[in-house]
Amino acid sequence: MDIQALRLQIERIDTLPTVPSVLKKLLKVIENPKVSLNEIGSFITSDPVLTSRVLKLVNSPVYGFPGRISSVSQALILLGMNVVRGLLLGVSVFEVMQKSMIGLWEHSIGTAITARIIAQQKGIPEPEEVSVAALLHDIGKVVLSLKFPDEYAGVIADAEKKGTFIFEAEKNHFSVNHAEAGGWIAQKWNFPRSLVEVIEYHHKPSLSKTMVVQSSIVHLADILVRAKGFGYAGDNFVPALNPAALQILNISEAELSGIVLEMDSALSHADDFLMQDD
Amino acid sequence: MKSIVAVSRDVAFTSMLERLFGEKHKVIIFSSLNLALDYIYNSIPDILLVDFVQANPSAATVVSDLKSDSIFGQVSVIGVFGQDQEMPHNTVLPIDDYLRCPPDERELEARIELCIGRSDRVVETNPLTRLPGNITILKQIQHRLETSVIFAMAWIDIDYFKPFNDKYGFARGDEVLKMLGRLVLNTVRQKQPQGSFVGHIGGDDFVFIVNHEIMEEVAQDIIDNFRSIIPTFYDSEDRARGCIESVDREGTHRTFPIMGLSIGMTHNSQRQFKHYGEMAETASEMKKFAKMCGGGCFKTDKRVV
Repeated sequence: MDIQALRLQIERIDTLPTVPSVLKKLLKVIENPKVSLNEIGSFITSDPVLTSRVLKLVNSPVYGFPGRISSVSQALILLGMNVVRGLLLGVSVFEVMQKSMIGLWEHSIGTAITARIIAQQKGIPEPEEVSVAALLHDIGKVVLSLKFPDEYAGVIADAEKKGTFIFEAEKNHFSVNHAEAGGWIAQKWNFPRSLVEVIEYHHKPSLSKTMVVQSSIVHLADILVRAKGFGYAGDNFVPALNPAALQILNISEAELSGIVLEMDSALSHADDFLMQDD
Repeated sequence: MKSIVAVSRDVAFTSMLERLFGEKHKVIIFSSLNLALDYIYNSIPDILLVDFVQANPSAATVVSDLKSDSIFGQVSVIGVFGQDQEMPHNTVLPIDDYLRCPPDERELEARIELCIGRSDRVVETNPLTRLPGNITILKQIQHRLETSVIFAMAWIDIDYFKPFNDKYGFARGDEVLKMLGRLVLNTVRQKQPQGSFVGHIGGDDFVFIVNHEIMEEVAQDIIDNFRSIIPTFYDSEDRARGCIESVDREGTHRTFPIMGLSIGMTHNSQRQFKHYGEMAETASEMKKFAKMCGGGCFKTDKRVV
C-alpha cells in the first residue's frame, strides 16, 4: 500500500478502543454521581485512549479553539462534567485483544510518569504537557494494530524472528513506523503541535522542529521504562538511547540516577493499576 | 398570552383557530397577507399562520422578506397547505412549520403549542459563544429582583484583551472568547448546577449569577482556571517571555502582560436593587475597581444601602 493510501485509511479512524480492565473501572467512575472532575481527570490520564478521546473532542472545531488544549484537566474544565460523562459512556474495548496490549498500556503509563519526573527535574514549564505526550507516544501502535490486526501481528512475529526492533519491522512492512502513524492521527484530531511533534519524533528527537527538549524527554523516558522492565512495548530488547537526546537534555550521571531512583518509587505505585480489579 | 396572526379566507379554519385558542391567546384574523402586514410590523406577533391554499402568488415573497428581516425573523411562521398541494422548498419559502388543510384539531393545537414552546426556548444567543445575550441577561436579573430572590451578579472582563487582539488578530481573540464562555459556564455549573446563570454581554464582557454565599469561591475558580489555560493561546516565544509587545489605546508601543480576568460582584442580601440597570452598574463599577487593583482578581460590593 502506498503511504498516501495508508494515511487516508488511518485518518479515517474516529475512535480507539481501550483494554477491558479500564472499561470495568470506567463504569464505576461514571456511575458514581459524586465523582469530582479531579477524580475523573486522574482516571482519564491513566489511559492513553481515554486521554486521546478527551483531547480530540476539546480540540475539535465545534468548540472553536482547535489545537490549543494539551492538558486533560484543562479539557475537562472546558468540556464540562456532562459532556465528559457522555464521552466516557461511548468507550468500547478491543474486539480482538492481543495480549501485548496490556503491556503497551503499562508501558505508556510508565513513560508518562517517568517523563513528568524528568520534565520537573529539568524545570520544563509545562510538565503535564510532556506527561500527556508521553502517555500518547505509542498511540500509533494502537492505531496500526487496530486497523491492520493480522498484518501487525505479522510485524511483531517478524521482528521477533529476525531480532529487529518493532519500529524497524513496521517500516519494512508499512513503509512508516508507529511514530509517524501516531503523528498522522494526532494531527488529524487537531491535537496541539506540541503533542503531534513529540509523538512523531520520540524515536529521533533531534529532528523535531519546535519540541526538541520535550521529544528528548519522552525518548529518554521510553528507554528508561523499557530498561526497568515496566510494561511491554513489544520489543524483547531495549533500543539504544539516542546520544543526541542526552546532549540536548544535558543530563549528568548523578541526575540520571536521581531520576531512576524517583522512577522506582513512582512506578511501584502505578504498578498494579491495570491488574487490580477493585 | 401570545399573539397569533392568521391569514386565511377559509372560514372553517379560522373559526377553528378562534375556538381553540381564542381564550388562551390573542387571535387576529386577516383575509390577505397584504392587509396583515401593517399589523405585523407594528405589533410583531408570536405566531403567523399563512394559508397558501388560495393565497396570492406574491405571498411567498412577502413571507420570505419578512423572515429575512432580523426583527421579524423571530416570528414563527406556520404555512398551511392543501392535502395534495406541493410545498415550496424552504429556500424559497422559509417557514418554521406546516399544516395540511383541513387540519386535525389535536394536530393544530399541538403544532401551535410546540411553536410557542420552541420560540420561548430559543433565547437570543451570542453567535460566538452561544451563550444568552443582553435581553436574556436582563430578564434573568429582573425576574430575580421582582421575585425577591437573594443572589449575586458578577461581571467578568478580560485584562489586556485589546492588545492581544491587536497583536494576534480577531480570529485568535475569538478563540479566547469561546474558551472563556465554556470555562465560565462549566465552572459555574460545577459549583451550582441549579439556579445559576451565565450570559455573554458582548466582546470580552461576561456575566454570571450564583448564590451569594459561594460567589467569591466561584470567582476565584474562574480566575484560576483562566490563568492556567490562557498561556496556550499565545505563541511560544511570548509565552516564555510572559508578555507581548503591542500598542495601547493611545497608539504607543509597549509590553503587556499575559491576560487575566477582572471580576466585579454585587448581591442583594444587604442592599436593595430596584432594577437591572442599578445592579449591572454596581457590578461594572466593582469590575473597574478590580482592574484598578491590577486585574487578575475580584472585588465585591460590601456597601449596605
